[in-house]
Amino acid sequence: MSGTLSALFPWAFLVPLAPTLAFVIIGLFGRRMQRLEWGGWVAVGGAFVAMVLGVLIAVGEMLSPGTYSDRSVAWLTLPGNGTGAFPHGFSLVMGTLVDPLSAIMLIVVTVVGFLVMLFSIGYMHRDQGLPRYYAELSLFLASMLGLVLADNLLQFFLFWELVGVCSYFLIGFYYAKPSAASAAKEAFLVTRIGDVLFLLGIFIYFDLFATAGPGAGWAASGFLFVSHGAPFLAGVPVSNATLFTVAGLMMLGGAAGKSAQFPLDVWLPDAMEGPTTVSALIHAATMVAAGVYLLAVVSVFIGFTATDQLLIVAIGGFTTFWAASMALVHRDIKRVIAYSTVSQLGYMVLAVGAGFTMVGLYHLFTHAFFKALLFLAAGAVIHAVETQDLFKMGGLRKSMRITSIGFLIGALSLSGIPPFAGFFSKDDVLGSVYQAAQSHPAYWPFLILAYATVFMTAYYIFRAWFLAFSGDHPRDPTLPHAHEAPWTMTVPIVILSGLAIVAGLLAFVPQFGGLFRAGAGFLPTPGVPPTYTTTSLLLSGLSVGLGLTGILTAYVLWGNGRVFTLAESSAVQPIRRLLLERYYVKAGVDWFGLRVVYTVSRFLAFVDEYIIDGTVHGFERMFSELSTRARRVQSGVVLDYAAYVVVGLAIFLVFLYLVVPAFPALGGG
Amino acid sequence: MTAIPWTVFVPELFLLGAALLIFLLDSVGFRWLEVFGGLATGGIVLALLAVLADLRFAPLAAFATVPANVVDAPWSQLGGSLVAVTSFGLVFQAIFLTSALLVSLSSLSRPTKEKGAAIFFGLLLFATLGMTLAALSADLIFLLLSIEITGISTYLLVGYTRRDPRGLEAAMKFYIIGALSAALSFFGASLLYAAYGTTSLYALGTTVVYLGHPPLDGATSIALLGYAFLIVGIGFKVTAVPFQAWAVDVYDGAPSDVSAFLAGGSKKVGLFGYFLVFLVPILFAGRLATAPPACPVGLCVTLHPDFGVPLQVIFGVMAIVTMTVGNVLALQQSEMKRMLAYSSISQAGYMLIGLAVATSPAIAGALLQIFAHVFMKAGAFLVVGAVAGLGIGSKIEDWKGVGLRYPYLGLSFAVMLLSLAGVPLTVGFVSKFVLFSAAVQAQGWFVWLAVAGLLNSALSVFYYARVLRVMYMERPEPRSAALPSGAVLGGSEPPLLALGGIGYGRAIAIGIAVVAIFAFGVYPQVVLSTFQNAANHLLQAL
Repeated sequence: MSGTLSALFPWAFLVPLAPTLAFVIIGLFGRRMQRLEWGGWVAVGGAFVAMVLGVLIAVGEMLSPGTYSDRSVAWLTLPGNGTGAFPHGFSLVMGTLVDPLSAIMLIVVTVVGFLVMLFSIGYMHRDQGLPRYYAELSLFLASMLGLVLADNLLQFFLFWELVGVCSYFLIGFYYAKPSAASAAKEAFLVTRIGDVLFLLGIFIYFDLFATAGPGAGWAASGFLFVSHGAPFLAGVPVSNATLFTVAGLMMLGGAAGKSAQFPLDVWLPDAMEGPTTVSALIHAATMVAAGVYLLAVVSVFIGFTATDQLLIVAIGGFTTFWAASMALVHRDIKRVIAYSTVSQLGYMVLAVGAGFTMVGLYHLFTHAFFKALLFLAAGAVIHAVETQDLFKMGGLRKSMRITSIGFLIGALSLSGIPPFAGFFSKDDVLGSVYQAAQSHPAYWPFLILAYATVFMTAYYIFRAWFLAFSGDHPRDPTLPHAHEAPWTMTVPIVILSGLAIVAGLLAFVPQFGGLFRAGAGFLPTPGVPPTYTTTSLLLSGLSVGLGLTGILTAYVLWGNGRVFTLAESSAVQPIRRLLLERYYVKAGVDWFGLRVVYTVSRFLAFVDEYIIDGTVHGFERMFSELSTRARRVQSGVVLDYAAYVVVGLAIFLVFLYLVVPAFPALGGG
Repeated sequence: MTAIPWTVFVPELFLLGAALLIFLLDSVGFRWLEVFGGLATGGIVLALLAVLADLRFAPLAAFATVPANVVDAPWSQLGGSLVAVTSFGLVFQAIFLTSALLVSLSSLSRPTKEKGAAIFFGLLLFATLGMTLAALSADLIFLLLSIEITGISTYLLVGYTRRDPRGLEAAMKFYIIGALSAALSFFGASLLYAAYGTTSLYALGTTVVYLGHPPLDGATSIALLGYAFLIVGIGFKVTAVPFQAWAVDVYDGAPSDVSAFLAGGSKKVGLFGYFLVFLVPILFAGRLATAPPACPVGLCVTLHPDFGVPLQVIFGVMAIVTMTVGNVLALQQSEMKRMLAYSSISQAGYMLIGLAVATSPAIAGALLQIFAHVFMKAGAFLVVGAVAGLGIGSKIEDWKGVGLRYPYLGLSFAVMLLSLAGVPLTVGFVSKFVLFSAAVQAQGWFVWLAVAGLLNSALSVFYYARVLRVMYMERPEPRSAALPSGAVLGGSEPPLLALGGIGYGRAIAIGIAVVAIFAFGVYPQVVLSTFQNAANHLLQAL
């Protein structure tokens, strides 16, 4: 059995190819189809093929644990000549690497991707521009799959950028709406900061490993993660430890941009402007997972230094708390879930930083399902009542039973209540960081923040559930009468509910758990314990207790249709306002943008308009003028042409007979 | 001493056979364009397969007709042979045959009643035959004669429609300048023979030319004159500045298919000639630094001051001037074919970088650029022919809305222009990338060649983008003659593959070019490794 499935490994490239094909078909023929929805079914088909193949490959990896299967094609090889900028030459490689990391991601991305596509069929039918939507969504999925399967750093970066571009298009899908257009720009620009850092990191690695010393030849190999079944850079001593640390920080910067970690987290909540399906895909499976996956890949195949790790832990731990605190007070259902994503990503980053890469991916895995579930359920609600304001909803439990149960399962999972998926992975994250903190006391403050977040998480998500679903009727009577969503929407919700229940337990199936708990020897970085296996009842009890307290608090304040209003004079009021205003970061950014950046940019615009543009236009005019004048050379008179030939001959003769002998540098003298 | 078997001429025999068959059928009064076209295409395909087999491409390697030990045999062991088989030459043969294939496929869509179909396809085959022969030469006279076979055939091709005065005028100009250049080339060859008593390219190249203190000795001064004449005579084919002026009038006046052939094929013969005549002295000079020169013909005028550096300077300057002049002149062009002609001149400048740098990666890069140019430029001329056939004018502004009305032609042309501009994912990007990075890798003043190339690429985007804007952003005037009746813009989407009566042969040829631009842009290593091997083997064989 395992042999049969691992025969699929070399064909892994078909996984991203299927949605790419869907993209091409919809892009070329989408608008020419008789009914625009057909494009949607093409996209669903592409995602389905990708899912079947992806899951089969992942199962194959489970059955032959800890193996690398690399298949790559050098599409451009430049041989080196021993000196110069690239003495060993370099290659650009396209390939697929099937290993435990990518197997986990394959399951996450293809399953969630397929379910979101299916959900879209029901959700998007009212919208214009359907072919564009399905084409972009297919390309988005394909890019993420290309990234997941990338077997070298440059390919990783290429697809990373593609993912960014697709997210720009999709967040700004309703481009006629100014807020959507600006959210798309914001997402693109903020993640771009991360992208630039990522690229700088690649350059540093290139410099460290490609030009000289040990590891030389990494560039010639095409920046491969593994070669001959072992990580390429395993055990390669680093010639310049400081530079290596800096490169690791650059990778952290890249990951922080894509995975919305502090301080690059502002874009994600605003990215809610896209269709809810896009939010589900971005938040659960594609875009934000890419950052965490980058950290995982670097930690496994290249390695972080202790300084890097501390900073990663700090960023992750702080973001966890920071984002959760903002989720406490917001009224927009999608925004609450969005903050929760940022917060949960913080947990993953925290675990990877503490050295427990596989624990971080475990949480990524379970989170993908319950977060997609929460988003799709929220999408079904928005679809039904046409508002995103929690304070207008209420009592939806009765009219949307499946959706309300789905949301509840997602909420329980997010709160870390056993036996739902989130419990196991969150417990592993907290436990592993606790274990790491024993030898790294600097981790303690971030562990405490992470524990505090458990309480807040349970509180804010149940506040949302109670506001939307409990009570007798909507608080705003003008809302349209809600009804349960069509099957294309409920089926994904039901499937994801099932996954949100079992995804955590799956890890106890030996083969499946093997992906996460692959024994020592799989992960090469010396001194880093790959997985966390011991569990402490005390720690689990603590986190479950915090979660239950959060739920209880939410029930007391918001249950059964209650609306808790904070007295204007309350001492907590300033804090609430601070959180609603997103710690004034957004306002600060806006102020900074308007006052500082705008002033500077007006100056630069002046420079650009009069000096740079002036120069460019000057050149343009110069060349145009030159072009017009020089065309007279092209007289159409053949004798003129013959004259040019003779002039050319004369120039060569003068050069060869008179110039060359006079100058030793030209071989004369 | 390696014996050359007759089988090296198998591709040529296919071409010759097809041509003779066509003339035979024509002489017995059989006039059916499709049959002539089919024969020509078949002959070219067979020849191409034979060449690919000799290049040892995987599934065809079993059919190779040339023994492996003959290919890339060291030139020092050729003796007096007129012919040598190099993978470098084979690659060129494949390039020539590919461009001939595109043209003959496309010409299948010419009007069936047209007279002179036999002459057209026959001449096309003869021109191709001349090019493939040139790619086998080891001797200067053999090389120049082969180039002349191509030359004479193409003069006739340009003017073969007879009724079209523009074609006739173009043919006349082409012929006059061609005759002048041929005269200079042969005069140069005879001067070299006078100086050194040989016409073998290897013997000539390895004869160290003394450039030291004037006065020069007699043999050297004569030889220098010979080399200068050859630079001019062959430069005419390359369309290197200042020998480019004819090309604009001729590409413009000739039928589009013939322009495609001139740009895609016959220009490359000139480049091949440049490489063959001048690479040996350049390389040999480079080797002098370490090893004392061998004296193959006993006429060496000794010593170390070498002829390589001035040659490299000449070709380097020529490269920069050619690409710049081509691009600058293209900027203000309003005629589509003239714009493409100038662009073709500038592309020749990029290719010359390979000769100036003369390292293995640079030669491989030049080969890739030459290869890419077939699909980009010949393809573009074929599209122009198709669009002209639809009754659309020859000015760029006549192309308003073409991209929307004819999605297939518009998209294809856009792809070709983007590739010419060097946009990633197209073969035009990869070829420039490889070529420029080879120049950077070679360091020294060669880096400036890369800089000039990059600046020129940026400049060229101006005029390519202008065409794209006209095709897609601008609406044609209502009742414009450019659009056939029934054209409704902005209504329903036109079917993607509406070929609009451009003919299947032409549509297929254009499709091949577009697919190749993408395929080799995404996965260039398929051909690049062949080119890199060819360049390496050439350097070893010389």
